[in-house]
Amino acid sequence: MSRVEIEKKIQSENDRVAEGNRRIFNDAGVFVLNIISSPGSGKTTLLEATLDRLADKLNIVVIEGDISTERDMDRVRARGASGVQINTGGGCHLSSRMVADALGKIDLGPADLVFIENVGNLVCPSTYDLGEDVRMVLLSTTEGDDKPMKYPAIFHEASLAVMNKIDLLPHLTYDMEKVEKEIRVLNPESEILRLSALTGEGMDAWIEWVENGMRRKKAELEG
Amino acid sequence: MHELSICQSMLKIVDQTMEQHEGAKLRKIFLDVGRGSTIDPTLLKEAFAVLTSDGPYIGTELVINDIPIAGECRACGRDFVYEELAFGCPNCGSTDIRITSGMELDVKALEVDD
Repeated sequence: MSRVEIEKKIQSENDRVAEGNRRIFNDAGVFVLNIISSPGSGKTTLLEATLDRLADKLNIVVIEGDISTERDMDRVRARGASGVQINTGGGCHLSSRMVADALGKIDLGPADLVFIENVGNLVCPSTYDLGEDVRMVLLSTTEGDDKPMKYPAIFHEASLAVMNKIDLLPHLTYDMEKVEKEIRVLNPESEILRLSALTGEGMDAWIEWVENGMRRKKAELEG
Repeated sequence: MHELSICQSMLKIVDQTMEQHEGAKLRKIFLDVGRGSTIDPTLLKEAFAVLTSDGPYIGTELVINDIPIAGECRACGRDFVYEELAFGCPNCGSTDIRITSGMELDVKALEVDD
């Protein structure tokens, strides 16, 4: 009887394909965000509001992930995005393989910015590197203010947390300070933004954040 | 949940190693599964039973090391487990804490009969 040491992450195949995606994104010089949230937090609405502000000056690609329908891709395409809808048919997250296959259908040449809208799920997507620059979690004020500690993986992994639907705060008992404290405990380096994709409040700071991210990425690739 | 696809990924890693041990019988697979990894050990064992109900790994035991989420406080040095956390270090209250374990999903080793 002998022990054979392996010491390998179970996700190493996903990670290998993700690195391949990362090389493709870097060769195209694009800044890539992987947006993760529960269903209904406002991912697509945030993308629509972002496209309204940026689609005139930037070439934006969206990779949409849903179990079924092309609804989200239709919405972002109507606001000036190009891209591809991935239907997982039941899968609860996007994998790097799914994104790699989608990249085969997209011309990243003219693209500046890529948003990957993950399947609505606060649990499973957190452990799947897709090749993004930033893993972002979107949390809305209607989801209860006890969520970060209940979902440690995603809040630990995400480098940006965006709190959406702040326009509804007057109608809710939502302790924003508590939520932000919990997020920082799980990831002290996490940046946090508060906004309403619907009313536009806080959107300027989000747009500025995105543009800074693009500039930083460009500088890294040139440096 | 997707314990089945995680189990498939694990078995691919096991296959690759077993290719270098032709003729050997695989007795045990040792995994580290962190409580923050989103993967449930009970469901993983059920998926494993389904995927190894025939083939070369019938009778192989999946041994899971269940790793709690734990961390340390960078302000006072105290170690703690996740359940002790409430907005910060249970000792000094600082939010300058670092999660040090609990996110693992690793194949550690195999036990084979050569």
